[in-house]
Amino acid sequence: MASFIAVGAIAVAIVMALGCVEPETPAEMTAINIGYQPSTHQLAAMVADEKGWWQEDLREFGVEEIVMKEFPSGPEEMQAMIAGDLDVAYVGTTPPIIVMYEGLDAKIVAGVQTQGSALVVRPELAGEYEGPQSLKGKKIATFPPGSIQYTLLSKWLIDNGMDPDEDVEIVAMSSGNAAFAIGTKTVDAVLLPSPTPTIIEVEGNGVIVEWSGSMWPNHACCCVVATEEMMTDHPELLKQILKTHIRATEYEIANPEEAAEIYAKVQGADVATIKRSINVSDMHWIHDPHTIIASGLEYAQVIYELDSERYENLGIEVLGEEDIFDTSFYDDITG
Amino acid sequence: MKITAVLKEQGLRVVPLIAVLVIWEVIARYVVKDALLLPRFSAVIFAIFTLRELLIPDIIVSLLHFSLGVASAFLVALPMAIAMGWFESVFKALDPIIEILRPIPPLAWIPLAIVWFHLTHYAAGFIIFIGAFFPILINSYTGFKDVPRVLIETGNVLGCIGHRKVVRHVALPYALPAIATGTRIGMGIGWMCVVAAEMFGVGNSGLGFRLFQKFYFLHQMDYVVAYMLVLGVLALIIDRVFRHFVEDNLLRWKKGIVK
Repeated sequence: MASFIAVGAIAVAIVMALGCVEPETPAEMTAINIGYQPSTHQLAAMVADEKGWWQEDLREFGVEEIVMKEFPSGPEEMQAMIAGDLDVAYVGTTPPIIVMYEGLDAKIVAGVQTQGSALVVRPELAGEYEGPQSLKGKKIATFPPGSIQYTLLSKWLIDNGMDPDEDVEIVAMSSGNAAFAIGTKTVDAVLLPSPTPTIIEVEGNGVIVEWSGSMWPNHACCCVVATEEMMTDHPELLKQILKTHIRATEYEIANPEEAAEIYAKVQGADVATIKRSINVSDMHWIHDPHTIIASGLEYAQVIYELDSERYENLGIEVLGEEDIFDTSFYDDITG
Repeated sequence: MKITAVLKEQGLRVVPLIAVLVIWEVIARYVVKDALLLPRFSAVIFAIFTLRELLIPDIIVSLLHFSLGVASAFLVALPMAIAMGWFESVFKALDPIIEILRPIPPLAWIPLAIVWFHLTHYAAGFIIFIGAFFPILINSYTGFKDVPRVLIETGNVLGCIGHRKVVRHVALPYALPAIATGTRIGMGIGWMCVVAAEMFGVGNSGLGFRLFQKFYFLHQMDYVVAYMLVLGVLALIIDRVFRHFVEDNLLRWKKGIVK
C-alpha cells in the first residue's frame, strides 16, 4: 500500500515539474498544412494548389512543402486543427466558432464564399414539396452538428415553427454518404454544399427545392481560419497566404469554366456537371472577411442558443466580433 | 489481522485506480491545461451529472442494439458451430467461407447494413452481429470438435445412441466452457462495435450516436470522455453479470477442476 502511495506521489511530482517547463520558441515554418473540403465552395484552395501558386508565393518565406489535407466536413477539419495538424483551414464559418466556444485559439481571417448549399428531395417527393412544413416526419441527411448546413437547417426549421429534434429526423453524413443515402432511398432529403446537390439531380436521385440563399439570405458559408500560432509567429506568411487566396478567388470569379475544370480534375468529377453546378448555384465567391461578420455573429448567437445549457454551466458567454474575427491581416494587404 | 488482510486486498484494487484518477486530474490541470486535448477528471464527472437525463435513454438504445446483435449472433452461430464441429463435411464446406468473411472488419459492412436494413436499429444490430458472430462460432465449433472419443464411446455404452443424443448429452456439456468463452469474447467485440454501429445515423439516440455524432462534432471533449467512461463501465457490468450467471451457475461443475 505504502509503495503505491509513494509511486503515486512521485508520478504527481514529475507531472507537476513537467508543467513548469516553459514551451520552446516556435521553429521556422518549412511546411504548411492547409485544410479544405471537396466542394466548389472552397475551390480557391484547389485553384491555388493546381496552379502552383501556394508553392510559388510562399517559397520566399522559407516554406518548402505545401500539404493539402482534405476533410469530409468542417467539424472533422477543426478536430485536426485542435490536434495541431492544420495551420490554415478553408472551412464553414460555424465549425470554427463552435470550437472557439470550447477554447481553441484561432480566428477567421478571410471570407471564401456565401450561400451555395441546397436542399434536395427525392424525385417522388418533389411534387408535394411546398416549403419547410412538407418536411415534417421526413429523414434529412446533412453535415454533422456544428457544420454550416446543420446550423442552417436547424435555424430554418425553428424560424418556420418546427422543432428540428421532434418534427424531422436529421442524420449526420458526409456529402458522399448522403448522396448514396438519397440514391438508395435511405433518406428523404439532403442539405449539402455544391456541387453535390447538382450531382444528385443529374443522376436522377433528387430534385433541388431550396437554395440556402432562400433559407437564409446572404448567409456566410466558408471562410479562412488561421491558428493563433500563425497569426502571432508568422504574420507576414499569413498575409501572403491571404494574398494568394485573393488571387485564386479572383481567378475563379473571372474564369468559372476553367475553375470548374480544375475542380473536376482534382476531385475526379464530371466537368459538365461541375460547370452546371457553378452556373445554377446561388453561391458567391468572396475574400473580404468584413462581408461575413454580421452573419458570423448571428451564427455565434444561434450556436449559443442551440446549446445554451452547456455554455451557461461552463460560464461561457456569446462570442463577439473580436473573439471570432481578425481582419487586420486582410486590411493590411488590401489597404 | 483479518481486517488488515481485507484492507490490503481492497487497497490493491482501489489505490491504483485512485492514483490513475489523481494523475489524470493533475496532468490535465497543470500540464496539458487545454480541455480540448484532455478534459479534467472532475470536469468529466460534472459532465456525467449534467448529461444524466440523456444517459438513460442512450444506454437503453445502445443495449437494444447490443442485444439484437449478440442474441442473433448466438442464435445463428450455435447451430452452425454444432454442425461444423460434429460433421467434418459441413466443416469442410463452410470453413473457407467463414475464413474469407471473418477478417472483414465490421465497419466495412456499414454500406451494406444501410442498404439492407436502412437507417434502423436492425442496421446497428447487424454491425454488432458481425462483430460478435465469429468469436462465438469459432470457439463453439472448436469445443465440439475437441470432444474426446473416449467420452463419446462411454456415452454410447451408457445408452446415448445416435447423433442427436450424443450431441445433447455428451458434446454440448463438454463444449459449454468453449461456447461460454466464445460468447464472452463475442460480447466484448460486439460492445466495441456499438459506437461504430451508431455513428452512421441509425437513430437519434444511443451512446455511440451521442458520442460521435453530437459531442465529437461539437468538440465537447468532456462529454466525449464522459460517454467513453460510461461505455467502459457498462461493458464491465455486462461482463460481470455474464460471468455471474454463466460461469458461477451454469458452469459451476467446472469449479475445482483447476482451482
